[in-house]
Amino acid sequence: MSAIIAITRAGPLTSVQDDGRFGQLRHGISASGPMDGASYRLAGALVGAEQGGVEFTTAGLALRLQSGSCGVGMAGGSFVARHNGAIVGWPGAVTLEAGDEFNITPGSAGNYGYLRFAGRLVLPAMMGSLATSSRARLGGVAGRALQVGDVLELAEPRAAAPQAIAAAIEAEGPIRFVWGLHAELFPTQTRQRFVETGFTVSRQLDRMGVRLEDGGGVFAEARSLSLVSDAIVPGDIQILGDGTPIVLMRDHQPTGGYPRIATIISADIDRFAQLRPGSDLAFAPVSVAHAQQLLRNQQS
Amino acid sequence: MTGSTVTDTFPTPTLVLLGDSAVLVRFGTVLTDVANQAAIALTGMLDREPIEGVLEVVPNLVSVLLRYDPRRSAAADIAGQLRLRLFALADAPALAGQAWTVPVHFDGRDLESVANLLKMTIPEFIAAHNAAPLRVLATGFAPGFVYCGLHGEALVAPRRTEVRPMVSPGTVLFAAGQTAITATELPTGWHIIGRTDFGNFDPTAVPPTRLQAGDAIQFTVAA
Repeated sequence: MSAIIAITRAGPLTSVQDDGRFGQLRHGISASGPMDGASYRLAGALVGAEQGGVEFTTAGLALRLQSGSCGVGMAGGSFVARHNGAIVGWPGAVTLEAGDEFNITPGSAGNYGYLRFAGRLVLPAMMGSLATSSRARLGGVAGRALQVGDVLELAEPRAAAPQAIAAAIEAEGPIRFVWGLHAELFPTQTRQRFVETGFTVSRQLDRMGVRLEDGGGVFAEARSLSLVSDAIVPGDIQILGDGTPIVLMRDHQPTGGYPRIATIISADIDRFAQLRPGSDLAFAPVSVAHAQQLLRNQQS
Repeated sequence: MTGSTVTDTFPTPTLVLLGDSAVLVRFGTVLTDVANQAAIALTGMLDREPIEGVLEVVPNLVSVLLRYDPRRSAAADIAGQLRLRLFALADAPALAGQAWTVPVHFDGRDLESVANLLKMTIPEFIAAHNAAPLRVLATGFAPGFVYCGLHGEALVAPRRTEVRPMVSPGTVLFAAGQTAITATELPTGWHIIGRTDFGNFDPTAVPPTRLQAGDAIQFTVAA
């Protein structure tokens, strides 16, 4: 028993992801995994999914179930999903039958949405993970983005078995951070302005990083420093030689030599990933202990 | 000879909390031989005597990253365990890295300009470059990528001012007193001195790379 899903429309950053490929950083491979982990997990819980799923962007996604029958869970941002032309609730779950069309178009908010399946994705695990790494060209389907014409096979598919899921409370307010590896290299005044001045999410964003527009000129005077290359973690905010801030995301380079002023906390990085280009944001510092408490509260 | 015999006292490390899920042990803020040896020695120690709750240990040029799950472990506990191991680091046995021979076709497009820069002929440069084994200083800038060094002062050349958009896997790069080998396509601002058939990345192998920080590399002229 299997089900075959044919991709009939996909944006350029559509990819297969799972929880991530950890433990390979020393070999030069960052973990990848969903840009919005909480939404990925919600989509899975909504359908009782197994490992892996499809991450798509505001370009949306369309697919046809070529054969079989399977449950599909969906979550992340705000999208409009149509099952054979009829709008279905978002987030939510549906069961697709052979011949069914499933079409997702962008809604009012968010950059990333997730489809998870009641069944096992038949894909080769690379180093224990299905996650597509855009940088290392590993995982997913041949290490690349999904394209029109790709098919995904599900082994032992089942109908959707929805679980009762409490709606997550969307946090608002500033994106919280802890001071970064090179924070002390920035003048006190720059650090103060980093917290007091807003930034804007630019159009230049992908799974590797999100460039910010520094309309307030916080880093206009940034000097180009020569630093020894050092470890990067997701959420690190590095300042390029021309003063452009970049937030490094799931497909980040493993090491880098630009100064990093701050690191977005784990509890806020999903929310940051969903900010669309043009969104204004502010940053607020917290302690590491507080950041960890926020994460435990969020996921308890 | 592995080139990793400890001759100097290791620099005093600094513990930095990197975000809310990692601790970085830094042995310096500039690349020195002894700081790099300390990072490699600590990595070896943490591989032999793992700290409970640490998910991943990653050596860098002058630091070591320890990643943990903040829902299960507190930064203070990881740091405490780390300090205990750091006390013992000076007495840790020198890492016996593996020895490798890496044949290189010295035909890179920057070979001549590098030799000129160092006021050598091309054969003089190649001979000086291959004169002694180098240590793998760090891995992981990209899949299978390795930094080897450190060359003596006569072989220190600055990086290029322009970045080449993409070089192919197996490109041998040279700059800043180091030789690096690429294993995937990537952009680089380093000088291209040659290419090698030595593949250091196979995603289907376990582990996916062969060279490790601390290994000794003897470069030779490929037949």
